[in-house]
Amino acid sequence: MGAPALAVAADGDLIARYLAGEELAAAELVRRHAAALARFIAAHGAPDEELEDLTQEALFKAFRALATFRGGASFRTWLLAIGGNVLKDRRRRWRRDQVVALTPDIRDPSGDPGSHAEAGWTAERLEEGIAKLARLQREVFLMRAQQGLGYDEIASGLGITEGAARVHYHHAVKRLKAWIA
Amino acid sequence: MDRMKRDHDGEELPRELAAAWKVVEARAAGRAARVDVERVAAQVLERLTRGEVAAPRRLRWMSPVVLRAAAAVVVVVAGAVIANVATDHVQQTTALRLPVAIPAMDSLSSGQLEAVLEAAGDLNPAADSLLPVSGTGGGIGTAGASLDDLNESQLETLLASLNGAES
Repeated sequence: MGAPALAVAADGDLIARYLAGEELAAAELVRRHAAALARFIAAHGAPDEELEDLTQEALFKAFRALATFRGGASFRTWLLAIGGNVLKDRRRRWRRDQVVALTPDIRDPSGDPGSHAEAGWTAERLEEGIAKLARLQREVFLMRAQQGLGYDEIASGLGITEGAARVHYHHAVKRLKAWIA
Repeated sequence: MDRMKRDHDGEELPRELAAAWKVVEARAAGRAARVDVERVAAQVLERLTRGEVAAPRRLRWMSPVVLRAAAAVVVVVAGAVIANVATDHVQQTTALRLPVAIPAMDSLSSGQLEAVLEAAGDLNPAADSLLPVSGTGGGIGTAGASLDDLNESQLETLLASLNGAES
């Protein structure tokens, strides 16, 4: 009965079960959220070779702090916010060590070669622009544009007001438009 | 998830960004797909089972650069304090070092007393306050004072004060 129950359990149930000592519940939570977290971290410009480590670190920190999770935001959003914090610390190290982010060139298969080149160039500019955004702007932008979260959810996850989340998002969009223009 | 999506529905990225964002997101998804979720789950569980404590956050003020700067400030401030104390000590010592010895009051001539007072006045302006006031009691300062104007008890008071200041 354990496995089927895990398959349909809500995040809140899994969290309660992990806190009660059931380790498999943690593994299930990781399986559910690791891919989205990794995408979020990748879109921040994390280097390939550190992506898995960063994902693991954010998940580990989340489980270590799970007793403090109050459920104001979803577990996913809370996890993304922790991922943002892990990235913040790592960015300091990247700046110190002068690590250059390496991103593979995955092209959109549709369209002609000319537009591929232009889209590739613009995408690179956009990646640069995302990396240059202020931290909260970047996190709000990615939570919204990539993860599809609502402002109320983003606000709960990041501990800011909904209005502030809207402002950060619109500033981010404005700056990114100017950056790729 | 409905609540999470609700706000976002109907709001799209501006056209100028949308195409580039699609490529960026595809790249991010492609890179994320190479993360081995099962391995991550196993590693997280292993760390949790091991009871590993998350690395304590290194405080900003503990960074080597900040510590070096703080040490430099401490050295400069300490140097300034020491220099200040030394200067004060020299000034204080000088102020109390009179060019003439102060023997018993009876053995001083008027000239000797005036020399003592001049030295005291030059080096320790506070000594002026010890002088009697003539006229109204008599506003005489060191420069214009004549010791002849002082009676013996006033001179004794003055010298006792100077001796007291020296000790």
